[in-house]
Amino acid sequence: MTTRLARTVPWMTVAFVAALLIPVVGTRFYTSVATDVLILGLFATSLNLLLGTTGLVSFGHAAYFAIGAYVCAIAMKTYDVPFALAFPLAGVASGVAALVFGFFCVRLTKIYFAMLTLAFAQIVWAICFKWNDVTGGEQGFNNVPYPDLGWMEALPGLASMRTGELYFYLTLVLVSLCLYILRRITNSPFGRILTTIRENPERAEFVGIDVRRFELAAFVIAGLFAGLAGALFGIFNRGVFPDFGYWAKSAEVLIMVILGGMGQFFGPLVGAFTLVALNQQITSYTEYWPLVLGLLLIILLYAFPAGILGTAADLVKALRGRRNA
Amino acid sequence: MRTLLLAAAGAAALSLGMSVQADAADIKIGMPMILSGPGALFGEPTLKGAQMFVDEINAKGGVLGRKLQLISKDSKGNADEAVRVAREMILKDEVDFIVGTFTGAEGPAVSPIAKENKIVFVAPVSKPDALTAPKNLHPYLFRTATTTTIEGRSAAELIAKLPVKRVATISPDYAYGQEVTAAFVAHLKKIKPEMEIVDQQWPKLGEADYTPFINAQLAKQPEAVFSSLWGGHFVTFIKQATPLGYFKRINNNFVAGGEAGSIESAKAIGDDYPLGIWGNSYDVFNWEDGPAAHKDFIERLKKFTGAEQPSSWPSVGYIAMQVLVEGIRKANSTKSDDVAKALLGITVDTPIGKQIISPKNHSANRGQFWGKMVKDPRYSFAVMEKPVYVDPTPFLD
Repeated sequence: MTTRLARTVPWMTVAFVAALLIPVVGTRFYTSVATDVLILGLFATSLNLLLGTTGLVSFGHAAYFAIGAYVCAIAMKTYDVPFALAFPLAGVASGVAALVFGFFCVRLTKIYFAMLTLAFAQIVWAICFKWNDVTGGEQGFNNVPYPDLGWMEALPGLASMRTGELYFYLTLVLVSLCLYILRRITNSPFGRILTTIRENPERAEFVGIDVRRFELAAFVIAGLFAGLAGALFGIFNRGVFPDFGYWAKSAEVLIMVILGGMGQFFGPLVGAFTLVALNQQITSYTEYWPLVLGLLLIILLYAFPAGILGTAADLVKALRGRRNA
Repeated sequence: MRTLLLAAAGAAALSLGMSVQADAADIKIGMPMILSGPGALFGEPTLKGAQMFVDEINAKGGVLGRKLQLISKDSKGNADEAVRVAREMILKDEVDFIVGTFTGAEGPAVSPIAKENKIVFVAPVSKPDALTAPKNLHPYLFRTATTTTIEGRSAAELIAKLPVKRVATISPDYAYGQEVTAAFVAHLKKIKPEMEIVDQQWPKLGEADYTPFINAQLAKQPEAVFSSLWGGHFVTFIKQATPLGYFKRINNNFVAGGEAGSIESAKAIGDDYPLGIWGNSYDVFNWEDGPAAHKDFIERLKKFTGAEQPSSWPSVGYIAMQVLVEGIRKANSTKSDDVAKALLGITVDTPIGKQIISPKNHSANRGQFWGKMVKDPRYSFAVMEKPVYVDPTPFLD
């Protein structure tokens, strides 16, 4: 009975509808946290296309997040481009950057690949940090305008909502759409080939798969969606800063993926939620957040190497197995 | 075992979620501040200064009959983390005001959040002129920190008094270094046009090897140098410049901004401090010519922090809180709209003297202490000889 229930209920639709209710039942604070989680969840899921699906460890994924954030913010504030154009533009810019950097990165493997992604990310960071006239340098690119959300008030139930809440709905719809596309990509024949490359690149090469080209394609798609996440985050944060592209941000998103479980499509989203919630709770009480995070990672990597969602899935499987037996 | 662990973690998360509810009558002030990482060396004492003010005012019965409550959270020195923390304070902890942020990025990052939530925000440390530039200024934003304009012009006033003609600069190549150096050069040219800028060096922020910059600068034979290398960067620079005879060649006519004269910098450099150069600091514990109010403040600070030679940073936290509370008192209200109006043009008697919030750019006339760095047998580190508080009022537009 329970197994059939688990299969027949459209869980994703349920989650989407539940998320729709957050601004109605929750406070403004929870709406803000939910927006944060959604955006970072998309960022982490985009990285997982490389990490979990293709088996490529990128230490520089924040670069594409930063490029997307800057492109969208600068287009909207400096050039008055409407969000409907600036948002896809951010994705395209990040995708092009990923194509250029990825062209060199996929020529290397393992740790050399990881180090080169890091090197390119540091270049992006340095450009954002130094190019004062365009990016605002260290002081960041501030007062990023919200998109024009007036049209949303015409929708049923949204008339009396504040900008922050409307922006949550916009984020929810866009992130859900992006996740849907990413899931389709992961489960497509193309995604299967990526998994084949992860499992055995030599063998994949042997059966006639152009490994580098597929890796580059995955790199570009991951960069594009990271850029879209960055565009949404820049507006949510009301400012874009060089730190968005710093290696620490790349490490943070890597932690989210591992925390949630890279073997599951929704693992990174769970990881983003967990990291945001823990950070918020723990920093309210102590400034030793890095210590807590470090301990948590040690426990996780030793006790639950499959991540939160991975462990939960294993648990469900084990329970089912026992019942069937 | 695993389920047990999970259950324990869940219980811990739940108990953390139930935060202590404050007395509803308290006036709540949120302070995002760097409390972890290298920046904590400055953020921690800034918070202590604010807490000391809160304790003092609460001991006297608070303001408008209500007690103050300071809620501090770690901004980690990150702009996006500062934004997150400020939002959490406003939306969850329901603070009435925000006083805080540290770096040149955190202040401008939190400003739009204060604006959209209509909460008064006082920046105690962020220096960039851009923070309160007309395009970024809004009714709820105030600054009690000094600015890059004030710091650059103060240094220019100092160098203008030296018997030199050939002046050079060395500053880190990023927003703060560029802004403060530009302000220095422009003001020097205005007040003493016969002075000549013979060289400008721009090492990148975090440069590890200053030797090429030092040699290139000495080749231009400057007679005096202005620098805005700060913190650890200044320490690295000093350790490399002294063996090259840099300070001897310019006759110690080296005017160092970026809090190079603070007790923190002096302690970090120790015996290698090049004596005879000029440095600045937000506060000094040995202001012997200072007013009684400052001496009293330092005595209270010694007691509060337990340090015999207290940090230079509590002063900025203390004064920011004091200015806000004077605004509350003058407005006779804790509504941000009223307090914001009351703060325009307000004059506050602080330990370092009168601070006036300009109605034009919402910033205080906050100067810094400048002095020649000497060795005093009473202390194990270099200190300012006869520190002078440079009031910027005469040279502000």
